Amino acid sequence: MEPDANHRSRAMPDSAIPAADGALSAAARAMISIRGLDFHYGDHHALRGISLDFPARQVTGMIGPSGCGKSTLLRILNRMYDLYPGQRATGEVLLDGENIIAPGTDVNRLRSRVGMVFQKPTPFPMSIRDNIAFGIKLHERISRSEMDGRIEDALRRVALWTEVKDRLRAGAGALSGGQQQRLCIARTIATRPEVILLDEPTSALDPISTARIEELLDELKQDFTIAIVTHNLQQAARCADQVAFFFMGELVEVDRADRMFTTPRLKRTQDYITGRFG
Amino acid sequence: MSTDPRHIVRSYEQELNQLRALTTRMGGLVESQTAQAIAAIIDRDAEAAQAAMEQDPEVDALEREVEGRAIKLLALRAPMAQDLREIVSTLKITSDLERVGDYAANVAKRSLRLGTMPSELSLGGLRTMGRLVQESLRLAIDALGQNDKEKALEVWRSDKAVDEVYTAMFRELITYMMEDPRNIGACTHLLFIAKNLERIGDHATNIAERVHYAVTGEMLPPARPRGAGAAPE
Repeated sequence: MEPDANHRSRAMPDSAIPAADGALSAAARAMISIRGLDFHYGDHHALRGISLDFPARQVTGMIGPSGCGKSTLLRILNRMYDLYPGQRATGEVLLDGENIIAPGTDVNRLRSRVGMVFQKPTPFPMSIRDNIAFGIKLHERISRSEMDGRIEDALRRVALWTEVKDRLRAGAGALSGGQQQRLCIARTIATRPEVILLDEPTSALDPISTARIEELLDELKQDFTIAIVTHNLQQAARCADQVAFFFMGELVEVDRADRMFTTPRLKRTQDYITGRFG
Repeated sequence: MSTDPRHIVRSYEQELNQLRALTTRMGGLVESQTAQAIAAIIDRDAEAAQAAMEQDPEVDALEREVEGRAIKLLALRAPMAQDLREIVSTLKITSDLERVGDYAANVAKRSLRLGTMPSELSLGGLRTMGRLVQESLRLAIDALGQNDKEKALEVWRSDKAVDEVYTAMFRELITYMMEDPRNIGACTHLLFIAKNLERIGDHATNIAERVHYAVTGEMLPPARPRGAGAAPE
């Protein structure tokens, strides 16, 4: 295993390469900094000594074979693991400098700052409008007209507004899979989080819906820090600014996406992304 | 790269191997074409000249075949990392090889014209150039077949010597032409031959650069070692 310092230094740009080409800029602030993170499911040591930065307003893609710990890491970032007994995280996960895995953390507040979108669209069994209003009402008390504005804004941002504006009261279940996923993203951004986590958000979608979501990520990263877990390497290549490769609970390599997919530094990464027997 | 584990998808592995085999075959063909072209000048061997010219269509056909397969691999397999570098490099290497084949055929054609000319001109410079260029090309094609970055670097460094001989020959031939205008016809052919050999050396260097990139992921610096004094274009 490479020392952590290497992971971090590789996440920084080469001084020879100008940062103007969409590369990670040296000035990019880390929205989330993970330092020496370990995670256990009961006796199972699922993540070992992870140190990784998520640069603000960039997309970090997390790749690796099933069971490598990438989804576990995602679930730590908004303390989803609190829902289950016997799971514990040690180390530091700093969100704007605050260790979110420390015992005193207000988990509700954290989840309003760090939203999550899942593999299968998870619309609530209620109207399109209420799906979005629901999340806002959990955290804020606002007037009806303000609420209408927030709902329209969220739906516009996910390019769903023109498709659903005449049937906001209709059930969300009637939407197509791609529309449902965009609704879920709208629901997430309506609460104005700082970070959006996506766990294989397009694996159940057709290519057109997938392209729409990927286009959306490109737009959303102007305002949000995004972490996406995907099994689709091409998707990571298309969407992510930075890519992290996990294997058996360890962070093997992290780098700019263009370098990761043309010249990975480590053989284990190369074998995985080229589809070879390890 | 030969020590790498195989791809999980066997047909992908096979297609990559077929691409490598075709490229290696093209390299071998161009290497022998170049050797024949050089023999055609040095030994005034008209049969070798003919053989070198006749190989050209096969080289061209191989280039198209490799290109088609490489594009198919890019489209259907979405290669990444070393596979991506290798396939993209192969595309460029085959056009280098195709150009080498063209230059070799041109040298062979001119050698036939030289045979009819009463020329007392020394072939010493061409002999040296031919040897150097053939050696570079052989090494570049070995580097390609064996994914050997050290050999690639050796070719890349050796281009300087070819450039120097070319520059010297250029001056020598200009002097002959100035001495006696009746030398101009033969000397012009010799000059083109020398230029073609020098270009073959450049393409061998290109091939070496691309092999180096495919193997290591690092581009060699744009300025490679060149002969003292600018080689005349």
